[in-house]
Amino acid sequence: MYDVVLACCRWLENTPWGATVRGSSWMYPIALWLHFVGLSMWLGASLAVDLRLMGVGARRQTAAELSNGFFACNWIGFGVAFLGGFLLLSAEATTYVANTGFRLKLAVLTPLAMIWHLVVQRKIRLWTQTEQTSAIGKWAGLIELSLWISVVTASVGFLLTNAVIHA
Amino acid sequence: MWEVLQHAGWVTTLGTSRRLYGLVSVVHYSAVFICVGTNVLLDLRILAVAARNQALSVLADQLRAWTWIAFGSAVVSGFLLFAVEAGDYAAATPFRVKMLVIGLAVIPALVIEWSVRRWDRAGVMPVTARLVALISIMLWLGAILVSVEIPALTGLG
Repeated sequence: MYDVVLACCRWLENTPWGATVRGSSWMYPIALWLHFVGLSMWLGASLAVDLRLMGVGARRQTAAELSNGFFACNWIGFGVAFLGGFLLLSAEATTYVANTGFRLKLAVLTPLAMIWHLVVQRKIRLWTQTEQTSAIGKWAGLIELSLWISVVTASVGFLLTNAVIHA
Repeated sequence: MWEVLQHAGWVTTLGTSRRLYGLVSVVHYSAVFICVGTNVLLDLRILAVAARNQALSVLADQLRAWTWIAFGSAVVSGFLLFAVEAGDYAAATPFRVKMLVIGLAVIPALVIEWSVRRWDRAGVMPVTARLVALISIMLWLGAILVSVEIPALTGLG
């Protein structure tokens, strides 16, 4: 199994875009910038909805209204974050995949958080039929918030232990 | 002055503890994403790109606390990370540019805070509002761009 993953990583590194990001002094920061800009949109929208589900902070809108209003920006943000992340991964896939923090992030935490995000997006209307969010909705918000913070934690763990220095 | 800060006891502790430094980094990244995200989303509402069916002032009320709590957390955690290599950061031009861009980005954010109710009553979004929102987006995204360029250009961080 790991051999297959490693073969994919080698292929990614040898793609024209992988080689370009790796070989250029300005492409790597630009890919990181794309990743962070996308994440800001994605997390800004998602976490504002989660906090509203939890009933914390202002209650000028229901969680469902907030989620609907941000729907497009939320997913555009995800697309941009994905593109940036994909470029970063392509540059040094074999180094990344050897890191425990990165494995945890990409194989476990991000898929879990994504699935949970989709569940929340599908069910949010049901949970906010009345002015008050249902108890299950509150827990759902807290779980999504915790999952995304754990994704950031694994990413920081990866950044701090990553042996590659980009200069 | 910055060298004194860098060699303070608590800063050395922070700099040598991977856990502590990691924790502060997690707070910084999360806070920055929430601060920039909520600011840009509100700007996009002013530009009629996001949440068009919702009143601007209602959306601003909903996001205000998170924007400023995140901004405060980003500043505090950012200062802690800065302290670890204060001398080098303070001397690095990209870092100074970053501080300038963030300082500038706060201005449109405050202008928007003060004006949302007036702009909401106007019916059609004033050109000034759209211009301020556009400048705000460019400054916040610019702040992230300068931030990722700091390690690339100086090797710091």
